[in-house]
Parts: sequence; structure tokens; C-alpha cells
Amino acid sequence: MSGDETGILLLSVKVAFAGLAASLPPGIAVAFVLARKRFPGKTLFDAFVHLPLVLPPVVVGYVLLVLFGTQGPIGRLLEPLGIVFAFRWTGAALAAAIMGFPLLVRAIRLAMEAVDPRIELAARTLGASRTRVFFTVTLPLSISGIATGGLLSFARALGEFGATITFVSNIPGETRTLPLAIYSFTQVPGGDAQAMRLALFSVLLSLAALAFSEWLVRRSPASAHHA
Amino acid sequence: MLEVDVAVPRGKFRLHAAFSSDAPIVALFGRSGSGKTTLVNAIAGVVRPERGRIVIGERVLFDSARGIDLAPEKRRVGYVFQDALLFPHLSVRANLAYGERLTPPAQRFVDGERVLALLGIRELLDRNPVSLSGGEKQRVAIGRALMASPRILLLDEPLASLDGARKAEILAYIELLRDELRLPMVYVSHALEEVTRLADRVVVIAEGRVIAEGPAAEALSRAHMGALTGRFDEGAVIEARVATHDARFELTTLAFVGGELVVPNLDALPGEPVRVRVRARDVSLALARPSGITIQNVLEGNVVSIGHEFGAIVDVHLRIGETGLTARITRKAASNLAMVPGSRVFGMVKAVSIDRRSVGFA
Amino acid sequence: MRPLAALALAFAAALVAPAAHAQGALVFAAASLKEALDEVAGSFALGRAGRVDVSYAASGALARQIERGAPADLFISADTDWIDYVEQRGLAVSGTRRNLLANDLVLIAPAASQVKVKLSPGADLAAALGKGRLAMADPGSVPAGKYGRAALTSLGAWKGVEARVAPSENVRAALALVARGEAPLGIVYRTDALAEKGVRIVDTFPAASHPAIVYPVVLLKRSSSPVARAFEGYLASPDARAIFERHGFRLP
Repeated sequence: MSGDETGILLLSVKVAFAGLAASLPPGIAVAFVLARKRFPGKTLFDAFVHLPLVLPPVVVGYVLLVLFGTQGPIGRLLEPLGIVFAFRWTGAALAAAIMGFPLLVRAIRLAMEAVDPRIELAARTLGASRTRVFFTVTLPLSISGIATGGLLSFARALGEFGATITFVSNIPGETRTLPLAIYSFTQVPGGDAQAMRLALFSVLLSLAALAFSEWLVRRSPASAHHA
Repeated sequence: MLEVDVAVPRGKFRLHAAFSSDAPIVALFGRSGSGKTTLVNAIAGVVRPERGRIVIGERVLFDSARGIDLAPEKRRVGYVFQDALLFPHLSVRANLAYGERLTPPAQRFVDGERVLALLGIRELLDRNPVSLSGGEKQRVAIGRALMASPRILLLDEPLASLDGARKAEILAYIELLRDELRLPMVYVSHALEEVTRLADRVVVIAEGRVIAEGPAAEALSRAHMGALTGRFDEGAVIEARVATHDARFELTTLAFVGGELVVPNLDALPGEPVRVRVRARDVSLALARPSGITIQNVLEGNVVSIGHEFGAIVDVHLRIGETGLTARITRKAASNLAMVPGSRVFGMVKAVSIDRRSVGFA
Repeated sequence: MRPLAALALAFAAALVAPAAHAQGALVFAAASLKEALDEVAGSFALGRAGRVDVSYAASGALARQIERGAPADLFISADTDWIDYVEQRGLAVSGTRRNLLANDLVLIAPAASQVKVKLSPGADLAAALGKGRLAMADPGSVPAGKYGRAALTSLGAWKGVEARVAPSENVRAALALVARGEAPLGIVYRTDALAEKGVRIVDTFPAASHPAIVYPVVLLKRSSSPVARAFEGYLASPDARAIFERHGFRLP
């Protein structure tokens, strides 16, 4: 594997990981709200969360450009804080996180809905506050959903193209993730071989992620004994 | 002293219940869907009444007039569910410790060792809840609730998902707890047998209302009990005292207001008060005192009323002295014997039909 | 079950329908031709029985699709490399290739920007960029990008800005970045710059600094559409040429 290829691989893993890490806390929170709470406009909120799944990735990329670009309202707000997304790997991570978010939320929500609310009740009667119940009961019992959702989101991030290239373009070493690099190679006459190599690495990376996710689920005490 | 007076909206109807008790166990008795679980949920703080008041001792848990509504975690109310509901991701040890750890040391009064011993769960400590049997789970669930040093223990049909042998086992444990710990309990059940065994005080609930409240036998021996217990369980509860033992034939005689009952040997001292449940299907009737039969208990009394006639069966309510008794017979028999309210009859109860499970000790 | 059967039937019908579409022509054209070619195609359709549909993308993407059997009748590329590519694979009708149009390469900035740069040897583009990026089509594969790199290299400015480039999928995407103000400078065709009100032309790259920008057109072997041949001829007509000129293209 050439130095360039290693760089592309590492960048992709960095971007996908950062995207996942950033989307886990809000993903868990949103999943919990959707699983347990009732409120006016819940259906609308649910639909909104699923938008990145339904919209063409290029559209999502464009929206990100409008909001988080150097001229965008959120981009301008974050710039003095040192947080820049435009043309940086952080932008690629953001695109990956957004595109994978609905998958993350769905999987976690499913797992949380499978947790008997009466068990949470039992914990409360034993003296646990709502927050404590969430962290000591709900979350541990949802670990399989979090692992699955995380894997799906990570895999989606590894394959993210449309939103990334539209939002932060195809900068080698900065935003040229695996899919973008593969695409670039296919655009050059005779670049097929290299494109294939990168595609192979992509597959291996996904398999590794899958194996890790399975291992995580298997060793968690909750899932081993979960119904 | 537990005082409850609440109105709770519930789906199609509204639960409107008021009762108070300082008995060791008060039973909430009624059919499924009558509102018993809603009531304990209100006591636990899981369900919020529309208005009312819930007080345990000097501690006000809920008072709509004063805007008090303590969160469940602040009520110190132990809750044992029908399905145990142990935390599957924690060991038994961790399950037991869960509530204990959340209780400020100053407020812990339950002796952990004693609870382990009383419930016989020490050897289960390192097991995982999923691998436990139904009975073991329920014992751990009781232990878990106790370890949090609750001021009152609520048990919502704790035996409902257990089979016959387990039921008896856990029932015995609960009796033991009632006698050993000085912890008030509220026991919810639709099973007459459990209520008879455990409770000195019974609150009968039907369709969201308290229709009877008081000492067990009194509250339970109402004519319209049939609708509450289900046909099989229809019967009467008689308050009696142990009179004598027959060592030779291993029988015990119980005395009640109106007569005597002979039952297979009861492990109790003379003078001890007991509650005896006599199922209607175990009572036969005769117009004249029969002779040359095996039945030990022939009780003279009068017909008070003849109950609803469903199909081939009819319930006849009798009065034996001051005590009520119900006999379930065929409509044909009732017709042939021309029974009407006021008729003099003899109620016959096979001694064998009254076993340990039918007797509760006060 | 009936609604399900109806749905299945409609779906099958939809699959069959495209066959009926073969009466028109499908043209694959470089992204930078969009406004002009749309107008030309519209003008062609007005007086004739036959529709012309145009699919715009980066020339490389189009060439690849043609190689994989895309049902295009005509291919108009933004550089000679990709037409060569198609010809070498025997996908073009020999003798039908000719240079249709020519274009210039320009440096653009957002309309509100006051930046001044003179594109001559030794031009200091890096200074003008500051912390921002230079938006251009991918210099590795897209014609507009390749021309841009060639031009900057011959001016001695490529090394200084190579690390600051934001490569886009096609030249229109680069144009959009500058128009939005995301990039302070960009390299696009003159025709693109004229089509977008949100940008202004800072300077034009000297013609000597890059290979001639020509748009070759070729008829593809796969084509059996008479409309395609007619359209190919129409492209050279006075009407069509007038439209192209109005959009800023030069005619060879």
C-alpha cells in the first residue's frame, strides 16, 4: 500500500470516527426522546430526523454548505470559536455524521423501545432519579442498539460521497476520503486499478468495523442475557 | 398508618378510592381491571391522581390541595411487581444493592443479612437474574425492594406468574416477612386464597370503587362476591378460633359464631384466631340432618338468598348463626328441595376440602 | 390483491415506455455548455419533429458512461483527451469528429470582491488568496481543471497555490462556490463566468498559457437516431452559432 493510499485510508477512518463520536450523544438523546416521550409535533420531528436518509446526498451537502460554510449563519457563529467546517476534514466528518444520523437513531430507538418501561419504573421506586435510571438501566440495556447504530453510521460514513464532495469538495489529504478518492481515480483514464485497490481496502475496513461491533455486543452483559 | 383518598382517571372510568389501615398487611382485593393496580401505582407515585391525599405515617406523599406530589424516587415506597422485573444486566447481588446504595446511610434500617436469611437468597448472590426460576426471581425482587429500606412495601399480584408449588413457597415467605419485619405491606390480589392467608384487613375494589373495607371475613363475606372472585373461587371466609385437637385422628376443631368446623390437623395452639375460606363448591345442602355419611361438618342454618341462576348451577347463601356461608348446587336440586329464603337447611362441608391453603392466621 | 396487481402492471408499463422515447436524440455534453446548448436544443426542437435531451456532467464521467454502454447519440467534450478516449475505444463514428467551439479560461471572484490580479508570469496568486481556497474543477481529471493547472504552471504560480485548491466535481460546482463567497477566487471558462451574475471576471488567462480550449463533438456508433444526425448538422448552422456566440463562446 503506497503512502498516498495509507493517507487516504487514515483520513477516511478519522472522518468516520469523528463523525460517529460527534453524533453519538445527540443520537442517543434523540432516540430516547422518540422512544419514550410524547409531544405535539413528534411525527414531524421524526420525519425531520429521517431527512438525510430520504434526500439526495447532494442536496444535504448543499444545505450544509449554506448553513455551515464560511458564509453560512452557523459557520460564521462558530468561526471565532475556532471551529471551521468549510474545506476541512471536520466538514467531511459533519457530512458523514449527518448522513448516518437517521440510521443511528433508528437502531438505538428500537433497542430502547425494547426495554420494558416497567423496569425503569422499578428503578425509580428504588430511589433512582430519572437521570440515574437512564444511565444505569436504559442505556446499558440498549447497548446492542447503540453498537448496531454505530456500525451502520460508521459504514455509511465510509461510503459517503455526494454530501461530502458538494460541501467540502475533493481536497487531497483534507477531504479526499475513500469514496472521493475512488471516484477521482475512475475519472482518470487508466486509474481503474488504483480505484479497485482502494475499493478493496474499503471492504476490509467495513468488515473490521462489523467484527468490532459484533464483539462489542457479545461482550456486553446486558445483551447476553437480554430476551 | 396508611391513608389513601384519591380520584384517578383511568381510561374508560375513574378510580375513586378511600381507605386507611394500620394493619401489618392490608389487601386490595378485586377482579382484574377493577383498579387495584392503579391504586398502588398512585401510592408509588407512578400514576398521578387527579386529586386526593396519600399519607404514610406523618409523611405526605401526595396532596393535591397543597400541591404536594413527591417523585417516586423520593417516596421510599418498595414495590414488588408481578413479573419480578429484576435488572437483567446486573447480578443478583447488584440488583439487591441497587436500592440500598441510593438510600442515605442514616435512613437504612433494614438488616441485609437478615433479609438474605429470611428469603433464602444468599446462594443466589452471584447468579444472573435470567438464570433464576420464577420463585427465585420473586424472592430476589422482594429482597431488592426491602434492601432500599422502604417505609411500606407494595406487592402487586406477586404470585400471579408462578405455578402452584412456587405460589405456596412464596406465600410462606411473605407470611414470614409479615411476622418478622415490622414493615407495613399492601398486598394486591384477585385470589381469595392469598388474601385469606395473609390479610387482617381487606379493601374490596370493584369497577374503580371501594365496595367494602374492614376486617377480612367481614369485608369478604358479601353476597355479591361472585362477580369479584370468579366462579371457581366463590366462597365464604369464616373467622374462628382453634378449639381442640384430636391427636388420635389428627383433626382440629375450630369454633366460630354459629358452630364448629372440623378440619385436618392445623399446626396452631388452642385459642389462636384463624380465617377459614370455605369454597362454595365444597358445600352441599340437606333439608334434614343426615346420618350415616362421612361428612364431618353439618351446620344448621337458614337460607338467606338464592343467587343468580346461570345455567345448571345456582348459589345459595346461608346464615349459620352469625356467619355467612355459600353453597353451590344444581338448579335442579334447589328446585326439587323447594328452597326459598327462610328455609331451614343444613350446610355440609367435607373436612378434607379445608386444607392448609384455606387457612390464614391472624 | 387487486391494487397490488394494478401497481405491478403500471410498473411494468413504465419499464416498457422508454423504448418509445427512441425517436429523439440523447446528447452527452460537458457541464460548461449548459445554458448555450439548452437554448440551441430548444431552437432545434421548435421547427422539427424530434426532441433533443442533453445530459450534462464532467467530460470524464460522460466518457466513462459511454464506455459502459450509455445510450448517447452525440458526445461534446470540453477537451480533446476524453474524445480521444472514446475514439480509441472504437465508440465513435469515424470522420464525424470536429471542433465545435472554443473558450477562454478566466480567473473569477465573488461579484462584491474588489481583488485585483494580473495574470502574467510571476503573478502572486497565493497572496490574493490569503487564507481562502482556489475553487476549480478537479485538476486531475476534469478538463477545466486540467487547463487551469496548465495555465498556472506556465505562469509559475501553480506551486504556490497547489495546496490551497478546492477541487470540485465539475466546473459548475467551482463556479457555485465562488458565487456563494465560499472561495475568494476560482478558475472557470469565460462562458461560465458570463452566465453567473454572482461572480466577476478578475482577469483572463493568456491563450498561450494553456492548450487551446476546444469542444470537439463526435457522433457515437451506438446511435441509430436520424434526429441525432440532424442535430449534429444543426450545431454548425448560423442560428446555432449565433446562440453560442451570444453566450461567450468563440467559434473556431
